[in-house]
Amino acid sequence: MKNILNKFVCTALIAGSVAVSSCTTDDLNPTLAQQKEDQNAFSNVDDMEGVLKGMYNRLTPAAYYGRDYLVTNEARTPNIWANGSSGRFVTQASFSQGATGLYFWDNAYAAIATANILIELDIETLEGDLDYARHMQGQAYAVRALAHFDLLKTFGQQHTGGSLGVPYVTEFKGEDLLPARGTVEDNKSAIYADLEQAYQIMDENFFDSSKEFISKYVAPSLESRVAVYFGDWERARDAADLVIESGKYSVVSADQFIESFANDGGVNSIFELAYRDTDNPGSDSMEYIYRGCSYGDISVTQDTYDNLYESDSDVRTNVFGTETCGDDEFLRNLGKFPSRSSNINVIRYEEVVLNYAEALYELGEGDPLQWLNMIPEHRNADTYSTVTKENILEERREEFIFEGLYYWDLLRTEQDIVRSEGQVINIPYGDPRTAWPIPLSELDANSNIVQNPGYQG
Amino acid sequence: MKKRLQFLLTPFLVLIVQLALAQNPDKTITGTVTDQEGLPLPGVNVIVEGTQRGTQTDFDGNYSIVANSSDMLVFSYLGFETASRRVGDAMRIDATLSPDAAELEEVVVMGYVSKRRDDMTGSAVSVGSESIEQVPVASVDQALQGKVAGLNITAASGTPGAVQDIRIRGRSSITAGNDPLYVIDGVPISGGNQAAATSGSSLNPLASLNNNDIESITVLKDASATAAYGARGANGVIVITTKKGKSGRTSINFSSSYGFTNPAIDGPTVLTGAQREELYYEAYQWQEFGELGLTTAEAREYEGSSEETQTSQGAAYRRWNAEGRPEANWGDAVRNYDAPIQEYNISANGGNEQYNFYASLGYFAQEAVTIGSEFERISGSVNFSHQLGENFRFQTSNTASHTYQDGILEGSAYFSSPQAAKFFQSPLEQPYNEDGSFNLNTSLPNPFWIAQEDIDDQRLTRIISNNSLTWSTPIPNLDFTTRASIDYRIYNYKRYRNPVSGDGDATAGYGYQAHRNTANYVFQNSLNYFLQSNDHRLDFTVLQEYQENRNYFLEAEAENFVTTGLTNLASAGTPTLASSEFTDWAVASYLGTASYSFNNIYVLNGTYRREGNSRFSPENRWGNFWSAGAALNFHRMGFLEGNNNVNMLKLRGSYGVTGNASIDLNAYQVLYSYDADYGGTGAAYPSTFGNENLTWETSDQYDLGIDFAFLENRINGTMSYYFRESKDLLLEVPLSRTTGFANQEQNVGTMTNQGFEAELEWNIVRSDDFNLTIGGNFATNENEVTSMPQNAAGNDITITEQRQRVEAGHPAYGWYLPTWAGVDPDTGFDTWYTDGVGSEITTSFGESNRVFQGGSALPTVNVGLNFHVDFKGFFVDANAFYQGGHKVYESWHLYTSGANLYPVGVYQGIDRLMTRWQQPGDVTRIERMQHGYEPWEYSSKYLFDGDFARLRNVTVGYNLNSSIAEAAGITSGRIFVRGTNLGTWVKDDNLIWDPEVNASGSTDMFTPATRSIIFGINVNL
Repeated sequence: MKNILNKFVCTALIAGSVAVSSCTTDDLNPTLAQQKEDQNAFSNVDDMEGVLKGMYNRLTPAAYYGRDYLVTNEARTPNIWANGSSGRFVTQASFSQGATGLYFWDNAYAAIATANILIELDIETLEGDLDYARHMQGQAYAVRALAHFDLLKTFGQQHTGGSLGVPYVTEFKGEDLLPARGTVEDNKSAIYADLEQAYQIMDENFFDSSKEFISKYVAPSLESRVAVYFGDWERARDAADLVIESGKYSVVSADQFIESFANDGGVNSIFELAYRDTDNPGSDSMEYIYRGCSYGDISVTQDTYDNLYESDSDVRTNVFGTETCGDDEFLRNLGKFPSRSSNINVIRYEEVVLNYAEALYELGEGDPLQWLNMIPEHRNADTYSTVTKENILEERREEFIFEGLYYWDLLRTEQDIVRSEGQVINIPYGDPRTAWPIPLSELDANSNIVQNPGYQG
Repeated sequence: MKKRLQFLLTPFLVLIVQLALAQNPDKTITGTVTDQEGLPLPGVNVIVEGTQRGTQTDFDGNYSIVANSSDMLVFSYLGFETASRRVGDAMRIDATLSPDAAELEEVVVMGYVSKRRDDMTGSAVSVGSESIEQVPVASVDQALQGKVAGLNITAASGTPGAVQDIRIRGRSSITAGNDPLYVIDGVPISGGNQAAATSGSSLNPLASLNNNDIESITVLKDASATAAYGARGANGVIVITTKKGKSGRTSINFSSSYGFTNPAIDGPTVLTGAQREELYYEAYQWQEFGELGLTTAEAREYEGSSEETQTSQGAAYRRWNAEGRPEANWGDAVRNYDAPIQEYNISANGGNEQYNFYASLGYFAQEAVTIGSEFERISGSVNFSHQLGENFRFQTSNTASHTYQDGILEGSAYFSSPQAAKFFQSPLEQPYNEDGSFNLNTSLPNPFWIAQEDIDDQRLTRIISNNSLTWSTPIPNLDFTTRASIDYRIYNYKRYRNPVSGDGDATAGYGYQAHRNTANYVFQNSLNYFLQSNDHRLDFTVLQEYQENRNYFLEAEAENFVTTGLTNLASAGTPTLASSEFTDWAVASYLGTASYSFNNIYVLNGTYRREGNSRFSPENRWGNFWSAGAALNFHRMGFLEGNNNVNMLKLRGSYGVTGNASIDLNAYQVLYSYDADYGGTGAAYPSTFGNENLTWETSDQYDLGIDFAFLENRINGTMSYYFRESKDLLLEVPLSRTTGFANQEQNVGTMTNQGFEAELEWNIVRSDDFNLTIGGNFATNENEVTSMPQNAAGNDITITEQRQRVEAGHPAYGWYLPTWAGVDPDTGFDTWYTDGVGSEITTSFGESNRVFQGGSALPTVNVGLNFHVDFKGFFVDANAFYQGGHKVYESWHLYTSGANLYPVGVYQGIDRLMTRWQQPGDVTRIERMQHGYEPWEYSSKYLFDGDFARLRNVTVGYNLNSSIAEAAGITSGRIFVRGTNLGTWVKDDNLIWDPEVNASGSTDMFTPATRSIIFGINVNL
């Protein structure tokens, strides 16, 4: 109020003498009460950590790891179908997606932009623990690789007969604000380079037991995923080996399996995204789409429900169940993503084990059967007597159902996608619809970008 | 016009009141004062010359005064020649006053200044209180519909108190604001939606004003009128003037009205359960057999015959049949039939030469036409003016109001919104159980339960205080005025979701509350000077203004309510959000405006304003805005002077530069925000790309016009042409998302608006007992984006939304969609043109490219028509309006009209689905029913011509004649019946939703526009 009165006095005085003006340009500076200008944003390592958390936050929205990225991939497999309860995921499950939406394009690049801020930061100017600052830069490299890899898998042409990947962005507000799509090969190299850099820079001493922040061995874990996807088996083997040898993670036991989805930071978790009672996507969460009568759009196909697991003692069958809405009964995922406030896993140790097994199998070395059976042994399930590609893929499907991995396994092994319930589909391998369209708003803003075949440009 | 003039200027008159000083005069003189046509003139000053004895005529023009036979009586009345009569022997002296030609002009209130009509060089339209009072609308802007050429109003929602979209002379900006500036009693105020939740009903700050406290509204359109508001004038200015006290006997006015509202049109009809079943089993047969052959009952029997053939949708139909096929009509069920609307006002005004006052108390209440929503306002005002000694005058206008809106979820297909129930609830499900309780087992939340349990309340308490002190300086005709004004708003929002059923059941209840304090301060200092010397007249004003707006915002959210029935956050177990904010903005400006008139014939106007705005960086903060105007009053020239056939003929023109700064706060700065969190701790992220070069968007506008009045003012009107070019548009330029940002605010692109406007009024019959007037207005608007900037790759930037695009050479946000080519009569499926009409036809939606469909959401033609007739006190007023040339998109068509399982298996369909394709040769808009779910396909199929006309207002009433009024002991009285939106015509038969949609151009799940009939009385004591 005092300020206001001062202003009044100043105006009253001016009236008499037009020449004098005490209400100057500076008096019109707006108050910044919720934000900071960029030059004031980084003074110490704590400020950097705030932006680091902002980077992780960019991975968590419903459009990305919060729901859509995982459920869309799952909905493009015979595991599930969309029952139309709220109209969600019907389009994805029928492969009739158009280019009007953004999907997670914006979220992924926002995370990348934040990662680039951290990578470009001159940490020597900061007050605080510079080792930790360097470790955070390593996390930024890993997130940059992860987000680009998710983009590449989704939008790249590696399975539709083309060579285009996605723009690989390594500068924040850099020279090229209208980047073109890189090639799949270039993208892959850049992803490997970033993951290697992340592994180099990160310090084992900053191991985060909550798993909500990336630690040193997250980088090779992700690298094994990328390498398996591209069939770079030696790299997959070496990366997985690094993780296994670190001894920091283990396969979750059968009796802990169901609980592991409800409990954050388990022994098998390598990296997971944090959600809280006060910080979750609410009605746009995994919980709402997999269960409940208000959304509950995702139904398990009868075939999956009846036939996926050979053994009734397999603890993974406890993930499944039925739910009744009104008078309709739905086959459901009841066990995974149990609550809006549960953390969402990005990568867990079981995948690294199976990546290792598959790499050994492909390279014809070591004892892949031992590594493959490590999973059913911990699930009260029947073990395999031989290693085949089919067995490895089947085990992966059983282990990671509802977690969005199966779609990529189908594509990388060049299989057709067939579902005979709900959205009845038969998508041959190589169909342009298996790659997602570049969002129209990106094409409209960035004329250097080329649309994928089969979509509106 | 005369009455109005008096109304406006009376406060400045120094009236003579009768003094008790007795001089022992002879006799009492009585008489009647009339105008040339014999109509009584109330309020005429009658004084005894050379004394301070005086009186005023009453309502019927009668007076009585005590005078000597040697005295001279002087009759004076503003706008009339003063007349004198010697008393002599007469006991009765009647006087007829003739209009004062020089004064017979409307004064136009333009906010900072008021101007005589003769001195106007631009376009401004005034709407008087008679068009504003007792109109059954919650916010005063709604009363402008169809009254002002070039002013387009659309109401998105019929929820009482909701925001209106107003565009004056089209759209002047692309992504910055297009709302006009509102000015109340010379003080700019901030408008916009007050609601803290975008998913609920909007709340219009103008709804906190009592319409009956408003004297007039002036709409300023051209640059010479708006340049005084420079910076913020580009979208036009709406100047609201509140009622002031009038010197003379204290008069008391009481008015009340009561009526009923219903939707203006019935809107789409939805399927009955039987129709829905028929369509479902058609879809089923196509899927199962590839042909139709069975009746619905046969198909149902077949479907239910084995586990292989059964479907979940079929189960619902079989169950429904087992229950005896009860039909639920949700649309009907959620209607609030004959929703009451009521208003009561009492006001008083009076005063003498020292002071005058106006005071009022008002109450307005309206229920929405859908359950669960209502609006209420109580308001009071006190306006007071006091002459302090010879040289100072103090004036204060104060309004306080409390507004309450019980809103609903609207504006999208919210499942628990009663507005969506009609289109999303299955007719197979019943609202009530057999025992009369609510059926909570419906597939969407039961809207009755929601209306009873859930809360979306908004409360706005608003105080406006506007105080000024005017000093008549020792220099003749030089006044200094200082003004301090505050508009203080206390806003509270409360949302509650019950834990039993609906949006809150998954979290055991949900509560949210927000609280906002907004203070808007305006300080002004001004010097007014006028110089009259022979034929020259110069008016000069300099003004300095500082405005600051401060916002404090606090919100909190919680889940897990312990019990039902307690809805405040205190009863919730888990707080999930607590947040507060402070934002501010400030504007400083210096204004000079001058008007010169020679002999009232040649008029020149000039305005210059320099304004600084906190929204821009210090280097680019200040902008210069100006205008110049000229007018030629032919009717003041010798050859026309006194010509009764040409009462006014004015040629006028103006040119000027105005601005627009309606963008988000702090957009020029490169910013990090801290409102994110991760893992339970705070997180930061880059939030604004920033642009230190950001500055004003400017509009160059010229305006040419003719104002005329012929045949003793029987025919009068105005015609104008305008052209406005908006430059350096404040544009949210879309960035490649690879930058991590969605857009950057830039000054780029140009856009033009041009149009022709005409207003005409014709007094066909003008007499004592019988008057007949028709009038109308007409306006066109042609909007075109003339240039867009190029991006770094050398291509024109476009802004493309789901259905609209901004591209050079087209109207802003022109409809941009694949073109639908009809349902193929052979196959029954939709087809599209690959590249617009005439190109190849495809059956694949993905192969159909988007093209401009012609037109945008904004009408290109607006027409208003008025009619007035009165006969011996009985009167009929009517007005209608038309908007056209635009297109409207029907939202939610996939779910309501798609030939698939959404409308017949999950939600509810519109009955147009009954015209679906069934056999080769069928020509229809609706495809063959499909047993599946389709994705969204936005095309021209659901883009319709938006042209419509509406009978906005019909009033039939009776003004008590003076003898009846006298007998009733009142000064005057009126009773009337008023109907609003009684009829609607829509050009395109396929546009079955209410054609009044918001400025985005798409229909949506809003409370529809309302038709109301009210009965009212108005009594002056």
